Amino acid sequence: MRIPDHALRVDPARCTGCVECTRACPAKAIRVRDNVAQVLPERCIDCGECYRVCPQRAIVPVTTTHTDVSTFKYKVALPSPALYSQFGPSTLPEDVLQALLSLGFDLAYDKAYACELVFADVKSYIEENYAGEPFISPVCPAVTRLIQLMFPALTGQILPFRPPREVAAKAIKADVTGRLNIPEDEIGVIHITPCLAKLAAMINPPTAERSSLDGAVGISEVYGSMLVALKQAKSDRKARSMHHSSGAGIGFGRAGGEVADLGIEETLAVSGVMDTIKILKDLERGKLRHIKYLECQICPGGCIGGPLTVQNRFIASNTITEFVKLFGARPDIEDMMKAGGHEREHFRLSKAILPAAIPPLDADTSFAIGKMRLREDIFRKLPGKNCAACGAPDCMTLADDIVRGHAKIEDCVFIRADGRSE
Amino acid sequence: MIAETVFNQGFEVEGGDFVRGGEASCRILEILKELAFPPSIVRRAGIAAYEAEMNIVMYADDGGLELTVTPDRIVIVVADRGQGIPDIELAMRDGYSTATDEIREMGFGAGMGLPNIKKNSDEMKISSTLGEGTRVEIVIKANHGEVRCEDSRPCAES
Ligand SMILES: Nc1ncnc2c1ncn2[C@@H]1O[C@H](COP(=O)(O)OP(=O)(O)O)[C@@H](O)[C@H]1O
Ligand code: SF4
Ligand code: SF4
Ligand SMILES: [Mg+2]
Repeated sequence: MRIPDHALRVDPARCTGCVECTRACPAKAIRVRDNVAQVLPERCIDCGECYRVCPQRAIVPVTTTHTDVSTFKYKVALPSPALYSQFGPSTLPEDVLQALLSLGFDLAYDKAYACELVFADVKSYIEENYAGEPFISPVCPAVTRLIQLMFPALTGQILPFRPPREVAAKAIKADVTGRLNIPEDEIGVIHITPCLAKLAAMINPPTAERSSLDGAVGISEVYGSMLVALKQAKSDRKARSMHHSSGAGIGFGRAGGEVADLGIEETLAVSGVMDTIKILKDLERGKLRHIKYLECQICPGGCIGGPLTVQNRFIASNTITEFVKLFGARPDIEDMMKAGGHEREHFRLSKAILPAAIPPLDADTSFAIGKMRLREDIFRKLPGKNCAACGAPDCMTLADDIVRGHAKIEDCVFIRADGRSE
Repeated sequence: MIAETVFNQGFEVEGGDFVRGGEASCRILEILKELAFPPSIVRRAGIAAYEAEMNIVMYADDGGLELTVTPDRIVIVVADRGQGIPDIELAMRDGYSTATDEIREMGFGAGMGLPNIKKNSDEMKISSTLGEGTRVEIVIKANHGEVRCEDSRPCAES
């Protein structure tokens, strides 16, 4: 299967260079050059804000194609709990799983179950290991990447757990190989995803550990065919055994789900990219010491607000509320561990998440100081209108690009018009 | 490219402005990251600067932070016009605070600000004149051999 090197690409035929995405990007990771948007991969956090705002639909998620999925002998769908929220409360999780089977998957695995399984262990880990600084959720890959890039000092606080989707994918492969004698490389575990971030984390995992997932397909990409398949699935409900999770696991589809499941008092749940950045800035300056666990999700409202979802996220949240009530409290962890033959060490990361900080102005502080002063001088010459016509989101970023050698002062349309430049 | 030895920038802080209070230390953190200081140093400086900045917001009329960076040291001078501190030794004690209940409700006023500044800096000088104001000088050495915390965790207690 062809693994792309990034989770999104810009379609040059559609891009008009309007700079909407450039302004919207919270990581300042987009420049418009020669009238086409370019994503700087070393700065992109895979949040999908650019995809949301592009008026030309020129930002294209590089999800796994149907052809790529069909190369696997045994195909497993691993849907985000957010998928359950997309069709209203009369469509049960078991209907959704059944519909995935009729789309051509050999197995549809209830990922929500993996969420509640892993988090039962997270709870005891936090209680044993909290030492005065909050642990940060390891679930949203865009948050992990944001921390690696912009808050390198906080990487050590990301909970050293594999995200539930990875735990599930690994367990599924072991199970299918054992039961059906199919070699692991012929099993394709495909995440049905609300976002680009999951795909990006597969391509470029945050640790040296390889991802156990083999692809990701957007919820919006299967939505139409799901609607058709659901009709049949609902008329004949016999697949009850496919859905194991309680209300707790389904709650992971939205912000606050992790914290609700943990049931620890000193926790905080934040969602949305700007609010996540804000809370991490607080954490970085020593606030929030009384918090033991910080849940952050890049999308507003959590995964139900993901860029590849279809349903209005407030309506989706109501559906989750219904399911949380309907499917009730989680089972006891020890029973779950025994039933599935799970071991705690499968939940833990074997390799540390390391910082991947945005490069400083210069690796040598004395040169960096020189460049910072030069940047101030350049900035003072720029008009300060933040018009983005140069292709950078604002004047300070253009000044930064200039001292880093990626742009020149004549890129500023005002400077060019005045012929003021030297 | 020119190697410069000093970077200097000042930030104003308004007493009582809880909305903008904290922005100066945020900027200082960004600057230090761009100047290639290791994460552990950046974080210690950020915590110390933030505590000192919030003390202006909480207890003084107005003031500012002055950041001076050389390749081997970070100096942050925090000076304000305001009531001043009557007994510095007392103010430096863990848990000592004159914060009102309202301030405490907002999550400040645990009496650990000045002690945390001391823990996170290599040198700290504090002087104050009643009715005039307070001056705190924070020095953090960037000498890698002298990093006090082994990992990125700051030296702080709650
Ligand atoms: N800049 C300042 N001006 C006046 N008083 C101050 C100033 N900074 C600190 N103080 C006094 O010292 C006390 C202890 O300060 P600190 O250790 O930061 O704890 P906290 O701010 O939580 O009270 C404060 O309660 C206040 O009475
Ligand atoms: S995905 Fe997010 S970080 Fe990446 S380019 Fe788009 S807006 Fe910027
Ligand atoms: S909040 Fe959920 S949907 Fe959004 S980027 Fe993170 S994992 Fe993906
Ligand atoms: Mg204080």
